[in-house]
Amino acid sequence: MSVLEGKELRIVGFLCNWCSYGGADTAGVARATQPTDLRIIRVPCSGRVDPLFVVRALLNGADGVLVSGCHPRDCHYSSGNFYARRRLEILKQFLPVLGIDDRRFEYTWVSAAEGQRWQHVVTTFTERLHNLGPAPQLEDAAPLLKVADMVLTALRPLGTGQNTALDELKAAIVKKLPELECVIGWQQGRDAAHHVPLFIRTPDDVNKLTWGPFNVNNPAVYLPTFKGKKVGIVVKGCDARSVVELLQEHLINREDVTIFSLPCEGTLDMARVDQTLGRYTNLDKVEYDEAGVTITADGTAHRFCMADFAQGKCYGCSTPSAVLADERFGTPVQVTPGEITPPELALLDAMSLEERLSFWHGQMERCLRCYACRNACPLCVCRDYCVSDSRDPHWMTQEDTPREKLFFQAIHALHLAGRCTGCGECQRACPVGIPILALRQQIARAVGQLFHGYAAGMNPEEVPPLLGYEVVEENIQERDWK
Amino acid sequence: MRIGVFICHCGSNIAGTVDCAKVAAIARSWPDVVYAVDPMYTCAEPGQAAIEAAIHEHKLDGVVVASCSPRMHEPTFRRTVERAGLNRYMFEMANIREHVSWIGKDMEANTNKAAELVRLAVEKLRHDVPLTAKQFDVTKRVLVIGGGVAGIQAALDCAEGGVPVVLVEREATIGGKMAKLDKTFPTVDCSACILGPKMVDVAQHPNITLYACAEVEEVSGYVGNFTVKIRKRATYVDWNKCTGCGACTEKCPSKKTPDAFNEATGTTTAITIAFPQAIPKKAVINPQYCRQLTKGKCGVCAKICPTGAIMYDMQDEIVTEEVGSIVAATGYDLMDWTVYKEYGGGTYPDVITSLQYERLMSASGPTGGHIVRPSDGREPKNIVFVQCVGSRDKSVGRPYCSGFCCMYTAKQAILTKDHIPDSQSYVFYMDIRAPGKMYDEFTRRAMEEYGTEYIRGRVSHIYPDGNGRLTVMGVDTLLGRQVEIKADLVVLAVGIEASRGAPQLAEKLRISYDNHGFFMESHVKLKPVETNTAGVFLAGVCQGAKDIPASVAQGSAAAAKVLGLFAKDKLESDPQIAQVDIQRCVACGKCLRCCPFGAIKGTEFRGEPKVQVIETVCQGCGLCTSTCPQGAIQLQHSTDNQILAEVNALCQC
Repeated sequence: MSVLEGKELRIVGFLCNWCSYGGADTAGVARATQPTDLRIIRVPCSGRVDPLFVVRALLNGADGVLVSGCHPRDCHYSSGNFYARRRLEILKQFLPVLGIDDRRFEYTWVSAAEGQRWQHVVTTFTERLHNLGPAPQLEDAAPLLKVADMVLTALRPLGTGQNTALDELKAAIVKKLPELECVIGWQQGRDAAHHVPLFIRTPDDVNKLTWGPFNVNNPAVYLPTFKGKKVGIVVKGCDARSVVELLQEHLINREDVTIFSLPCEGTLDMARVDQTLGRYTNLDKVEYDEAGVTITADGTAHRFCMADFAQGKCYGCSTPSAVLADERFGTPVQVTPGEITPPELALLDAMSLEERLSFWHGQMERCLRCYACRNACPLCVCRDYCVSDSRDPHWMTQEDTPREKLFFQAIHALHLAGRCTGCGECQRACPVGIPILALRQQIARAVGQLFHGYAAGMNPEEVPPLLGYEVVEENIQERDWK
Repeated sequence: MRIGVFICHCGSNIAGTVDCAKVAAIARSWPDVVYAVDPMYTCAEPGQAAIEAAIHEHKLDGVVVASCSPRMHEPTFRRTVERAGLNRYMFEMANIREHVSWIGKDMEANTNKAAELVRLAVEKLRHDVPLTAKQFDVTKRVLVIGGGVAGIQAALDCAEGGVPVVLVEREATIGGKMAKLDKTFPTVDCSACILGPKMVDVAQHPNITLYACAEVEEVSGYVGNFTVKIRKRATYVDWNKCTGCGACTEKCPSKKTPDAFNEATGTTTAITIAFPQAIPKKAVINPQYCRQLTKGKCGVCAKICPTGAIMYDMQDEIVTEEVGSIVAATGYDLMDWTVYKEYGGGTYPDVITSLQYERLMSASGPTGGHIVRPSDGREPKNIVFVQCVGSRDKSVGRPYCSGFCCMYTAKQAILTKDHIPDSQSYVFYMDIRAPGKMYDEFTRRAMEEYGTEYIRGRVSHIYPDGNGRLTVMGVDTLLGRQVEIKADLVVLAVGIEASRGAPQLAEKLRISYDNHGFFMESHVKLKPVETNTAGVFLAGVCQGAKDIPASVAQGSAAAAKVLGLFAKDKLESDPQIAQVDIQRCVACGKCLRCCPFGAIKGTEFRGEPKVQVIETVCQGCGLCTSTCPQGAIQLQHSTDNQILAEVNALCQC
């Protein structure tokens, strides 16, 4: 629809029926003059406002979005706004990584009696947006392509894990196998430098089990399909966190799953490995040493030092040993606690908002919309019912535009808010190598900062932060609009 | 779809700054809109008749009215379209008065904005589906929580209306704060004389089951069908046997027990009956002071009790009651005034609370109705009343007015003169708030007939003068000078706060409460008795400060709501609730975890775990819908698709 050219901006308001919509009515009854830009959508509760409505509006060209609900404690539905506060605060911290100025989104509380406050909120927010001007659009930003720098100091020595207790693990699996439907692990794929998932059903299969930096897949992704059946799984530290997260969501039963764990020394970023190897006909050999692997293909040796070629997530990994396991083997790896910004996120951190918008424009033009990211994600539990494929609800059009594709990434990232363990499968599976993990990492960072260092997938008993609330949120600054 | 659009002029209210005819013309160009007009007054009878006629004539299956706030006339127009044979949910409203015409004068911008808001409504309507309410049975019993005057009134009115009542009281007797008062304003009639008969009615009414020394432990269910677990605290006396003869209280050797009923102005025995008119008139043992229970030897009461009612091994008991409605009437407590260090912070015995003063004045109180100083038992001559101690004071987190202190302070000043004719009372006040019937006249009497000296100002400091009296330093803001008064007794009108445990109870009842613990009514003006949880009503001070007449009125109002609810044999549930698409649900339980009402439960469908919505419990907030990643649970009438349609109508760059 048309806005009055040059005069008005496109501002969308989501107001809860009970407090803020009433507050806007009160302002009207009092003839409290307000700018005309805002268009109000009435919702029952601020808790009804899916943060994705806001993203949808902003990606579709809104210059600003305002959500307003009842004051904390005054919710008509007793706690809807407490949930809204957490989710919308996460959203506010998420928008900048997409290249959207977070000043274009605001949430606040206005009661039905506070007509004056409503007038003040509308006026202030509209003025702010007029100062910012019309929102830059994804399609207008010149595409920008950049690659993350992966050379980082890890919190622990990265290695190839070849001295680990693989034989003990194999013996344990053979012993346990009669009770289990299967045990999920890894085996050699098309050649010794590429591993793929393995489903161990017979004692002979156990011999195929491999261990090392090529075990990139997260086997937890298969667990929900086995729900109700006894199944074993071999995990790296990061995989175990996905298992914990699935347990937290009751998508698998603890008593059905036997977790075998070996301490992980890091995995390779196969995209960069394959890029270095280039096309080859014969893989001659793969030699492991403590610090890396040497792959000889078509007579040429390529050395991949783990410190340089690990997956981005491995550098900051603080859980190389499984957080939850039934049978553990090998010597646990020591981690020096510390803060590391994952390389994908650091890449975006270093950009300006305009550059980020350009970056995502460029990256999303490359996106094939193949949904490999979704299919590889162990926490995409909707499976056949993903909203991206659905007409009811109809969140996405089938258009092949950067906007729709970026919107899907926002859906995935926000659906994973407080759940994503950072296993990085989405990014690893991406056939065109888009660093989409950064979006999830930004949310995980915000979740940690807002909710007392919460990290997903550490404890199956914990209530995920976006499914809970505190009446007084210590780390969420209520903006009082003064 | 065939949609009719009505752009109301509302006289000049809308048409003054919105070109309604133009909006209607624009609307005609949209898909599915087959009819658009701009009547003068849509809500008036001819306006509604025109909608009905248009529905028939143009075979409309959906109607949009653009006029005032839907909070005002949505129900009106829903009935209109229903009369014309449409489902009442095939109707949407655009608010072009409060949100457009009244807040700006720019005709062009307003007309454009109005058209867009109408477009939103049309887009939402295009995704509307007819919804029908479901019917369910009602348990015609009511639970009243709190046996103060508001709760008593609610219980009696319900019982008189033929509804069985379960009355739960935390203390050993009903009567609440009113039972502690000596006299009541503005008539100065005896509190016990007017409350006593009501309390006896409660005890004798065949429709009332009274649980004293009991608290609500757990509430589940929904309007019409609540299940309530009540914890009956151990009283160590079998009330079926106790006759209330009081022999035990005379012989009990533990006489230093603080007397809660007398606001700690005196002591009592470890086994006690709160006061002579207590209902139920049954003895209760205070386990903290009973020698048998603390030291294991004594047993005097057991020996003396003529009916053998004493049971030292009594345990708490949980009883379960099924009710269809709940009235919360939990009243208030006084705030902890000892935060006021300038008033001695509780260290001066002759600085007391107004409720303690009531007990000193009461004939059933510790002094038999003689006003004496707690410190030395002498009769005070100079009495200073300090109002607003913990009311209207942001510095102690009590910004609100406690409502009735101005009045009872005037009453206490009058009674003081009656008790001690040669006494002089002073009242430090901020403003006199006496808006009730005969109230201002009453405060005038205190000043003019009884010679009470009213000083407009705050007290800054109270300290002992060394000769057994207190020096009260204050300011008279009318004269603009400092005041210093020698007082024998200082009475603080201590502000009220929500009853101890009110927020916890609110959470059990799933009702809202404000920053101060007072329960939230559904609408501050139009639904002062209802809460946001259907079937739960409020009475008395638990909702906000009010005096006895207002508490009684609200008690009756709550009873009227209960009786109105129970006048129907079946209740209708609002169809604007969440609905699960059983195919899409993966039973991850996220909705179940965050539903504020416990309205979602696990179920099975073809051997697969799923969730389902308990239709009568769901209140329609839609939190589940925004929580479910796959969109499997949709709030009817505010579905993802409806809101997305609105978003997309607004933002299509």
